[in-house]
Amino acid sequence: MSEYILELKGITKIFPGVKALNNVQFQLKPGEVHALMGENGAGKSTFIKVITGVHKAEEGEMFLNGQKVDFKGPRDAQAAGIAAVYQHPTSYPHLTVAENIFMGHEIIKNHMIQWKAMNTEANKLLKELNADFDATAEMGALSVAQQQMVEIAKALSTNAKIIILDEPTAALTKSESEELYRIVDKLKAEGVSIIFISHRFEDMYRLASRITVFRDSQYIGTYDVDGITNADLIKAMVGREISDLFPKPEVKLGKEMLRVEGLSRTGYFKDVSFSVRAGEIVGLTGLVGAGRTEVVESICGITTPDSGKVYLEGQEMHIKQPSEAMEKGIILLPEDRQKEGLIMSWGLGRNVTLPTISKYAKNGFNDEKTERELSKNLLEEVDTKAVDIFQPASSLSGGNQQKVVVAKALSQEMKVVIMDEPTKGVDVGAKAEIYAIMGDLAQKGYAIILISSEMPEILGMSDRIIVMCNGRKTGELSREEATQEKILELAMEKGQSGKGAK
Amino acid sequence: MAGKSGRSISATPENTLKKTIFSWEGVLVILFIAVNIFCMTISDVYNLKNVLREMPKYLAEIFLLLPMAFILVLGEIDISVGSIVCLSATVSCMVCNKGIPFICVILVGILVGTACGMVNGAILTKFDELPPMIVTLATQIIFRGIAEIALGSGGSVSLSNADGFRAIAGRVGIVPYIFFLVIIFAVIAAVILGKTTFGRRVYAMGTNRLTAYYSGVHVKKIRFLIYTVMGALAGICALFMVSSSYGANTTTGSGFEMDAIAMAVFGGISSTGGKGNLAGGIISAFIIVCLRIGLGQVNMNPQLILLILGVLLICAVALPNVIAEIKNARKVASRK
Repeated sequence: MSEYILELKGITKIFPGVKALNNVQFQLKPGEVHALMGENGAGKSTFIKVITGVHKAEEGEMFLNGQKVDFKGPRDAQAAGIAAVYQHPTSYPHLTVAENIFMGHEIIKNHMIQWKAMNTEANKLLKELNADFDATAEMGALSVAQQQMVEIAKALSTNAKIIILDEPTAALTKSESEELYRIVDKLKAEGVSIIFISHRFEDMYRLASRITVFRDSQYIGTYDVDGITNADLIKAMVGREISDLFPKPEVKLGKEMLRVEGLSRTGYFKDVSFSVRAGEIVGLTGLVGAGRTEVVESICGITTPDSGKVYLEGQEMHIKQPSEAMEKGIILLPEDRQKEGLIMSWGLGRNVTLPTISKYAKNGFNDEKTERELSKNLLEEVDTKAVDIFQPASSLSGGNQQKVVVAKALSQEMKVVIMDEPTKGVDVGAKAEIYAIMGDLAQKGYAIILISSEMPEILGMSDRIIVMCNGRKTGELSREEATQEKILELAMEKGQSGKGAK
Repeated sequence: MAGKSGRSISATPENTLKKTIFSWEGVLVILFIAVNIFCMTISDVYNLKNVLREMPKYLAEIFLLLPMAFILVLGEIDISVGSIVCLSATVSCMVCNKGIPFICVILVGILVGTACGMVNGAILTKFDELPPMIVTLATQIIFRGIAEIALGSGGSVSLSNADGFRAIAGRVGIVPYIFFLVIIFAVIAAVILGKTTFGRRVYAMGTNRLTAYYSGVHVKKIRFLIYTVMGALAGICALFMVSSSYGANTTTGSGFEMDAIAMAVFGGISSTGGKGNLAGGIISAFIIVCLRIGLGQVNMNPQLILLILGVLLICAVALPNVIAEIKNARKVASRK
């Protein structure tokens, strides 16, 4: 028997136009948690899809328990005991948990689905994971963390020996992540081997024993977690040293740009007041569901608040829709790049100029030449990794997509820029670049609101930190006095179980 | 100004001549020529003069195609337009019979259509979760219902004095007025959709409405406007329908919405939104008009003509997919 439960050698995968994987290798020991790291676009997801039989590699071999295998499709991988839990749970929201767990391998007797057996079996699996919901619950009613639990239960239901977790903590709160860590530990103790993809170093240190790093479709190396420093690891991932992840410039604060007074919206947030000055970065944090996004959506006119006032440069505003907010100089860069931030099938240039086409248009006619030049300049200014301005937004990695979203905000004279989770799902190299852009903006005199769940980001970039919990502002900390503990305390408050506000 | 890494991004557009010829519009132009040659071989009387003579009754539908293209690009659909044509035609016949000046009849016809369009637009923007298909299905029934009530037991109305309508059915030489009007409207619509900020925003909304909204596009205003214009042009279409039949009845305009959608889709405008352009829609409209005239001249059964058009439509929808597949397969093969 081989030392490795899973081994891949010389894998090359070619998509039209790109080599997504170039001669990469990977070894997984039985019962280990192995982190797979690398920047967005490094080839991790493609690699996972090769393992699970979704993609067929052009070159290379794969060995399972020392036996050469050749998966024709995902079914083969499933039969061989490999299961993947993807970043965005790929579930059927209108079906029950049990139906989701047994999708594709229902318990069947005489061509009839055995509902009772299926529900019992599902509940047994959920109980093993300490889940606090029933197998008959509707999938769509569950939180992302709970849905992920269902996905893991689904993997267990196929008797998987190798489970692949693709950025499982990206959408989870801190306490939910803890819960996930516990589950992973338990699986590991039961002898399941786990491949773990994450951008969070925290996850990796907490869980993994070994790390394999990919960069630019190539294999860089495999390291023991204890044997590599953080800086070396980042260097392996990015290919260069990042001296300062949070380049927060010293900016002399200007006059007050935005002031919010007693803003309330029933069921979402209550009596929120704060202000932002020119050149200032105000961090808005709290657990997922604390009402942060809802507050800024009200400021920008996406939803209408029930009461409260919003002032821009001392003038009270009554904004009914985002277009009005943008005319006044407030722009929200939404959290969900693919649904709210970009038109994925459009070229980068058109995406950048969409908010401002009227400005360069002559008598309502698009001035494509000016648009092309302007978008080229803006995209270069934010250092987008792109070939030309015509390639679709979907062809970029997450971090670069985020840069395009930022470029959109730069295409016009803005006063207040609100960034909702700007580095969500973004790798460490691109993160540093986005922070640098943020610092530049502050220096240029923009007032910036940064919404984020990531503690280091909030602590590293904010001049002031506003903490929300359950729709209320629970505290405001200056850069000097803020610590992770203080923020957490405010974000959870007393008597709160810490499971998110919903 | 280049970024920190000095990476430069190209902003030079590709040479588009080759693209234009091999685009779907290029294919349609060839098809248009082919259809005309085909019609000339099967029919002895298929010539410019006769085609232009028979054209007006088919051309009226192109007025519907133009705004329908906008609605399809939005990713939506309006199936009430046939009924708007019916109601508008009915009302204009009735007011014409009251003897009011003809210019007022025209205004009434257009206003009735506009009002109907505004009803659609108002409902859809007020309750933007409602699917346009269902809303316009309801108004389709309502508008035709109102027309039927107005028409009463006879189910039809004839013009007592058709002078005015005869005048708008006039010609310059052999070319009917409506032909010029259609071309003018078509060019304006194509330019608005293809070249203006308004058009760009329509494409943005059709591809990703939420992103468009977050990017400051006046989503509601644009939707309301487009449905209203759809109604207005349905009113114009109605006037030309009356001018070719000197009356209106309960079946006036029936099925027109589907004709307009078919022309648009045949022209490469995707019904899922965000794709296609009006050049394609207009060429395909003329292909269909010519085919109908040619097949009509050899006395082909109208049902059979519909069947042929249906088959053509399916081919047209499937063809781009087939081409894309072939291209993809080649690309993959050449990379290996």
